Amino acid sequence: MIKVEHITKQFNDLKAVNDVSLEIKKGEIVCLIGPSGSGKSTVLRCIHGLEKPEIGKIYLNDQLLDSKESHYRELRTKMGFVFQHFNLFPHKTVLENLTLSPIQVLGKSKEEANKIACDYLERVGLLDKKDEYPNKLSGGQKQRVAIARSLCLNPKIMLFDEPTSALDPEMVIEVLEVMQELAKEGMTMVVVTHEMGFARTVADRVIFLEEGKIIEENSSHEFFSHPKTERAQDFLNKVMH
Amino acid sequence: MKVLTEFLTQDNLIFMLQGAGLSLLLAAIAVCIGLILGTLGAAAKLSKYKVLRILGNVYVEVIRGTPMLLQILFFYLAVPMIVQSVTGERFNADPFICGLIALSINSGAYSTELIRSGIQGVDKGQWEACETIGMNYVQTMRYVILPQAFKRIVPPIVSEFITLIKDSSLISCIGVSELLLRTQVMGASYSNYLVPLVIAGFMYLMMTLTVSYFARRLERKLAASD
Repeated sequence: MIKVEHITKQFNDLKAVNDVSLEIKKGEIVCLIGPSGSGKSTVLRCIHGLEKPEIGKIYLNDQLLDSKESHYRELRTKMGFVFQHFNLFPHKTVLENLTLSPIQVLGKSKEEANKIACDYLERVGLLDKKDEYPNKLSGGQKQRVAIARSLCLNPKIMLFDEPTSALDPEMVIEVLEVMQELAKEGMTMVVVTHEMGFARTVADRVIFLEEGKIIEENSSHEFFSHPKTERAQDFLNKVMH
Repeated sequence: MKVLTEFLTQDNLIFMLQGAGLSLLLAAIAVCIGLILGTLGAAAKLSKYKVLRILGNVYVEVIRGTPMLLQILFFYLAVPMIVQSVTGERFNADPFICGLIALSINSGAYSTELIRSGIQGVDKGQWEACETIGMNYVQTMRYVILPQAFKRIVPPIVSEFITLIKDSSLISCIGVSELLLRTQVMGASYSNYLVPLVIAGFMYLMMTLTVSYFARRLERKLAASD
């Protein structure tokens, strides 16, 4: 579904991503893990085009993602993106946050967009908050709204960039549950996360990065029980206590 | 005391109040046109095209770096000359229109900077969120960035409006019969400038204080929804 070929992304002198290639199959759940500054978020942002790699190519369903192509924006809407800091629109209600793009970009009628939005809000358990403004929600609720907002565009793949890192510990679980539900329904997902429990139980595959490079890549069971590289072993020792 | 009672007739006061009304009207129209010009100016300054950025910069720097009185005289005295030499026909400049154009263009330059900083003050995550849900530049600006930017620029725009109420007095020099010109007419006809000037000052003060009173209320209301 997604194919990343030899991408490199540089910030000033720092090579945040250094010659990374990877492939995500349909229905697969892949976690990108690694110490902070390892480039895992940048890889994810490159996949969606929020960062433009200097070198390398990215394909979505065998179509090259190229900002010069006319159908580039349309292609990108097939990928949902969830941010660490939610990025909800503070001046719009929860419902308006969800319907803005379906109405303006997809040209849906207000009634239809509302109906779809309410469906997704119900699925993330927040239908009763539809007329609230985001500042009235807790962090976990905001993130669930952000996930619902992405889903309203009917994406084929969801990209999560540290979706629980900005949350208070007691709110992490409600977001992870929503993600787990999505996984069960067969959504293709790429998740940058520090939640090793989630990576271990939900992910099919784990990609371990350090200093902008892929160090190890394996099924999540194999990775957590028998990490091959020393660096992955070190990392797991530190984060698994 | 005699001058005071002699001057304070109903006719004289109405004459000056009409001038005050015109000043307020000029300032109000100018601040509105200024907001439109400011939005365009800010879009130019933040554009990815270098030519537009340069144009936006030149506009702001030229207007902010020259006296407003010069700009007013330029639009009233110099621009008609240019029009005349281009079209070859006699061109009668209307002082009201010329004054209004000068005030609007001046206000537009200051608004450009206000709006630009308002737009840049919106979290860049908002842009990224719009990007990921397929919105283009114009949609992002219209539905997400500008509504948030405008909220934070209401206070400085109000003080821009207050400045304009006061600065509109400058166009008395091209013969627009707004408050200050009428004040001078009164002063000349009574050979006494003290009373008319004090009354005009009082009227300006009333206008500016009223505007800031409502601005404070509006600010409180906007802050409540934060």
